[in-house]
Amino acid sequence: MKNRYWFKLVMLLILSIIVLIGCSDAASEGEGSNTDAEDAEAQETAVKEGKDLTIAVAANFISLDPHDTNDTLSYSAEKTMLEGLVGFDKDMNVVPVLAKDYSVNDDATEFTFELEEGVTFHDGAPFNAEAVKVNLDRLTAPDSTLIRSSLFELIEETEVVDEFTVKVKLSEPFGAMINTFAHPAGMLISPQALEEYGDDVSQNPVGTGPYVFEEWQPGDHLTVTKNEDYWNATGNEVDSITFVPTPENGTRVAMLQTGEADFIYPVPTEQAESINGTEGIIVENAQSIVVYYLAMNNLKEPFNDVRVRQAINYAINKEAFIEVVNNGFASPLDSIIAPDTQFYSGQSPYEYDVEKAKELLVEAGYEDGFNTTVWGANSSTAMNAMEFIQQQLAQINIELEVVPMESGTLSDSIWSVENPEDAEMEMYYGGWSPSTGDADWGIRPLVGGEDAYPPNSYNTAYYNNDEVNSLIADGLATGDPSEREQAYADVQEVIWEEAPWAFLTVDDTIFGKKNYLEGIYLLPDGSLSVENLEIVQ
Amino acid sequence: MANPETSGLATEMALDQNVEKSSPVKDFWRKFKKQRLALVAGVFILILVIIAIIGPVITPYSSDEPDYANVLQGPSLEHLAGTDNYGRDIFSRILEGTRISLSVGTISVLLGALIGTILGLISAFYGKWVDSIIMRICDVLFAFPGILLAIGIIAILGPSLVNVVIAISIFSIPNFARIVRSSALSIKSTVYVEATKSIGAKNRRIIWKHIFPGTISSIIVNFTMRIGTAILTAASLSFLGLGAQPPTPEWGAMLSGGRDYLSTAPHLTFYPGLAIFLTVLAFNLFGDGLRDTLDPKIKD
Repeated sequence: MKNRYWFKLVMLLILSIIVLIGCSDAASEGEGSNTDAEDAEAQETAVKEGKDLTIAVAANFISLDPHDTNDTLSYSAEKTMLEGLVGFDKDMNVVPVLAKDYSVNDDATEFTFELEEGVTFHDGAPFNAEAVKVNLDRLTAPDSTLIRSSLFELIEETEVVDEFTVKVKLSEPFGAMINTFAHPAGMLISPQALEEYGDDVSQNPVGTGPYVFEEWQPGDHLTVTKNEDYWNATGNEVDSITFVPTPENGTRVAMLQTGEADFIYPVPTEQAESINGTEGIIVENAQSIVVYYLAMNNLKEPFNDVRVRQAINYAINKEAFIEVVNNGFASPLDSIIAPDTQFYSGQSPYEYDVEKAKELLVEAGYEDGFNTTVWGANSSTAMNAMEFIQQQLAQINIELEVVPMESGTLSDSIWSVENPEDAEMEMYYGGWSPSTGDADWGIRPLVGGEDAYPPNSYNTAYYNNDEVNSLIADGLATGDPSEREQAYADVQEVIWEEAPWAFLTVDDTIFGKKNYLEGIYLLPDGSLSVENLEIVQ
Repeated sequence: MANPETSGLATEMALDQNVEKSSPVKDFWRKFKKQRLALVAGVFILILVIIAIIGPVITPYSSDEPDYANVLQGPSLEHLAGTDNYGRDIFSRILEGTRISLSVGTISVLLGALIGTILGLISAFYGKWVDSIIMRICDVLFAFPGILLAIGIIAILGPSLVNVVIAISIFSIPNFARIVRSSALSIKSTVYVEATKSIGAKNRRIIWKHIFPGTISSIIVNFTMRIGTAILTAASLSFLGLGAQPPTPEWGAMLSGGRDYLSTAPHLTFYPGLAIFLTVLAFNLFGDGLRDTLDPKIKD
């Protein structure tokens, strides 16, 4: 019996050695292939049989009703089937879709759309001004409980001018309204389907898009098939697209490697370089408009002192942050909004300077530092980020306790606050994607004074500055781009100097595809675009 | 039941009274040193204990000093087990983690053993409804899988290493209570306990002087075995984010932090995993050896 023990022990040792050798091999292979972008281009095109695509995504779809959706992933699926009056191109510029043309009056209170003619919904209903009105009326109905009604609450009236002209009147000027129409929440559903399904339209989307809804088994898959009568057909549409939610990072990567999936997103950053250029895989990344920040509760000591907030900005090494947390797939955030957001204006960065940070803390009277806590999600990226910040702040004697929370608990803790003074939050690590692509939606909900305090909105920093509030109002009160630009340039400068957050990163969107796919990409807000998709063999 | 055990009991009694010529410690050692594997495991545990005590002195690097210029380095002479995603030396972190794992394992099992033993003795000695109540409570606790019970307890108390210790000790209690109860029951019905009773000894004296010593060997065996389980549970809880919080170099927390790099930098998880594996294995082998030595039913 003892002999068997010894045998097992020896076998185990051998096994460990084999594993160890295996490890070092894999590591060196990875290093070899990671830096060569040409490698990915040079490899032979993988073979694709048939024209049915599979796309593996990181989470489940929640709804297929664009008016009642607030996650970018559900929008990605909806956008294969539905279209709006206007939309965004690859750089978040507003481009016409179902509206041929549009015009705005000087006060930014009236928007007139000229519609495409000869377009029909998947169920045969004609697309016309009446259909637009039905959709906007649905969103602005006083008793509406749709999540996205708030985006369109300024619409006073939608008027059918003639069959292919529609005029939208606002109750007050709103300069960013055209971006709101381009937001996926402005996509249009067949009036016939709205009548037939009511709110169940979230399971039965009927639009004008290049693909028609086939079936959706939540948690398992969602399939759309080619729209044979698509009005704007490129001729390159594939027969079908199946979305498969695959939360596990490793599985998603394996699906792409084996060919089970043709496209995956996001690609886990730590594996991006090692799979790029192998087995016909191309990993592409581009700067998004998703900003990550560390909000500090400006109502609480010591964060009510601007010197403390600036010190924290100086104490965090953003370059190292990007390497450690994002594996290089991000850029430093140099304003409150990302470069691809409309009216962005870059500021001079808080250079990493521990000495300066210490001086500022001494000035503020915290030469011995202080203890505080940071809240954030319990995903591994968020936890890495918070642990990194913990290490950085330790250098200036700030002892940070990291409190990762499950997403439900986290949003409860932050947004179920009755009285701002009672908020327990001290620091919060989070991200924000302004899906309208406009400065307003990247600034107002986050630092727009008392109106934006939780639970109403997302001002987790409890930042309230009269100058900022009035500049934000200025930016909204006009439709004139140059006036808006000036207002937002000013507001960004003030916010940067005041530092209600520690400004961290702008993340990259990152996807992996087989190299026979062309024209499929992620928009800067993180949603998927398949309009120009084709298979090239 | 009582008869076949008497020879063993005699040895244990000897251990207690220490009057026989061949000392029970020597007797134990004579048997135990034949268990080669358990000996090796024992030496390994001894080394772990030494590391746990002098750990911070011998670690080549500070366990929480990041070095962003050297992240995710593979094992080398400079960094024996490589560096993690913050550039921290994994070998140093494992050495420092030894102290945490060993103390969490030992303290929690010690607490569990203490309470479990007392409950077991009371249960066996008084019997009747006392026994019923204690044993039914134990049954309830037994009905939960250990880790699930621990997660439940931590959900109530909140995640921290101290609460992990509490959770593990709670689910160790019924184990000890049962084992102690069963050996105490057989001792209770022996003639010498009957005799002590009949000369009017107090209950407390009977329990502690006459019954408890007989249960020590089974407690020791179970204690050693449970430490392995406790270390594993503590690591699992930390892996789930319920135990040690960053930057504590707890082995399970290290595994958790490294799991995203499993395919690109496996040394992040391999070495902490190896540390857990070897430690738990050592405690189990050591416990096996002790059982083989102390169990009167196994003859050499």
